[in-house]
Amino acid sequence: MDALSIYVARASGLHHLNPITKFVLTLCLMICGLVLPGTWSSYLILLAIIVPLAIWGKVLSRLAKLVFNISLPLIVSVFIIQTLFWGKGTPLFEVGPFAPKLEGFLFSITSAGRILFIMADFILFSLTTRPDMLMISLKQAGLPAGLAYIIVTTLQLVPRFVAKANTILDAQRSRGLETQGNLYVRAKALLPLILPLVIGSLLEVEERAIAIEARGFSSKKVETSLIEIPDSKNQKKARVFFILSTILLIATRLIWLS
Amino acid sequence: MAIVNLQNVTYKYPLTDSPALQNINLQVNEGEFVAVIGPNGAGKSTLCYTIAGFVPHFFKGAITGTVEVAGNESSKSSLHEWVLNVGLAFQNPFNQISGAKYTVYEEIAFGLENIGVPRDEMITRVEDALKLTGISDLADRSPYSLSGGQQQRVALTSILVMQPKVLVLDEPTSQMDPIGTREVFGVIRTMAEKGMTVILVEHKVEWIAQFADRVIALHEGQILLEGKPQEVLTSDLLREKDFGISRYTSTARKAQEMGLWKKDILPVTLDEAVEGFAPTTSTGSVHRLLSPEGRGKK
Repeated sequence: MDALSIYVARASGLHHLNPITKFVLTLCLMICGLVLPGTWSSYLILLAIIVPLAIWGKVLSRLAKLVFNISLPLIVSVFIIQTLFWGKGTPLFEVGPFAPKLEGFLFSITSAGRILFIMADFILFSLTTRPDMLMISLKQAGLPAGLAYIIVTTLQLVPRFVAKANTILDAQRSRGLETQGNLYVRAKALLPLILPLVIGSLLEVEERAIAIEARGFSSKKVETSLIEIPDSKNQKKARVFFILSTILLIATRLIWLS
Repeated sequence: MAIVNLQNVTYKYPLTDSPALQNINLQVNEGEFVAVIGPNGAGKSTLCYTIAGFVPHFFKGAITGTVEVAGNESSKSSLHEWVLNVGLAFQNPFNQISGAKYTVYEEIAFGLENIGVPRDEMITRVEDALKLTGISDLADRSPYSLSGGQQQRVALTSILVMQPKVLVLDEPTSQMDPIGTREVFGVIRTMAEKGMTVILVEHKVEWIAQFADRVIALHEGQILLEGKPQEVLTSDLLREKDFGISRYTSTARKAQEMGLWKKDILPVTLDEAVEGFAPTTSTGSVHRLLSPEGRGKK
């Protein structure tokens, strides 16, 4: 088991940016992608901004692989549900009781674009930002230590859950639990996996709380930092630019809608 | 002079009927190394949490009596003030990793950052602590990539670096091999000799006999026996109450019944057993196959 984050160490300009700059950019891109109208706007952000950023960060192939693996089941189910079960609309063709609709198909393209770009946006951030660096920079920016800790540990929640689930799965398999096979066999294997996972995670939370309290987590003293993360005037200007552009885009969209 | 002072402490966890600790009176002197033994459910971990301030500040419930460390009373202090004097490390090392740090070096500095230690002093203290516990070679590794024994060393180092007056350890070597255990016991002994007070819960009685100054046997939340390691660990009372005793003690006890053990005192450690049996057995040798933690035994 490694560091329980998907961070990939690379000597790239994107990696060396202040984590807050990347965090602000990630959030602003997500908001812009959701605010922009049209079927293809998400794809445009993905290709025009996220892909060049991933090339700059030297993580394009890793990003593509992760986004594909995570998004594919979601996108497939969106296409099936929205196209086949769309209400009134223009039928594309008819197969037995099913008549896929053009409107549902177009809506699926929009939804798939949003899934892809939101996934790519956050995964790119996680691939190029060490969670601890994010925590330090958030604290340096004045965020309370408790809140910064919650943000960072939440980012590691999925890898930690996967690692824990795999350990439990291995333990249950070694005791003869069948986990491979048809849907019924897999469903039956879920309970012996979920119960220890949930109960174990709750106990883990309690023990981790004790461990960090024992190391002065609630101390009222002014915190210091082993690592100092540099921040530049240009990066501060860039953050203001990202935020103002996003606000401007939201305002334009609201005016256009009214 | 007693730095830890528990007077008539009784504690009951919320939603339970019987107390986990009953009428505990315990004084531990500055620089003393006290080991606590007892069967499961004896109240060992609760005693650790009580001395470390987590009872009643973290675990609610009903507590009576007084708990004092370095002249401060637990009920009148806050937890964040208390932990500056009392350090706690417990059994499961995985859950003691903060989850917010990328390397062992940064993980060990986590506590010092929280209590506002200046960066230069922090670096000196972290490097000294790494050397002390023999994990300097792990400094750049992710804490999550280590073996259980290595993670336990990181957990211990993370507390030692805080330089508490009292160190409370709840089975800190449970995932370590004999070499690791001996090294860690050596580190704890060194800290005690430097003036740090150590309260250690441990099942490995052979090591306790070699390193601790005093042993406390807990049973059903009460102190059953207290005294020098040799006296307590070879007591008949421990056998009657199902405590884990040394294999050397039980072997010598049987040998004593057969007239093969001539000494008045029963052994706890291998060396004591070898010395005691030497007059009645032919010369032999003991071979040990050991390897340090993290060498793929998992």
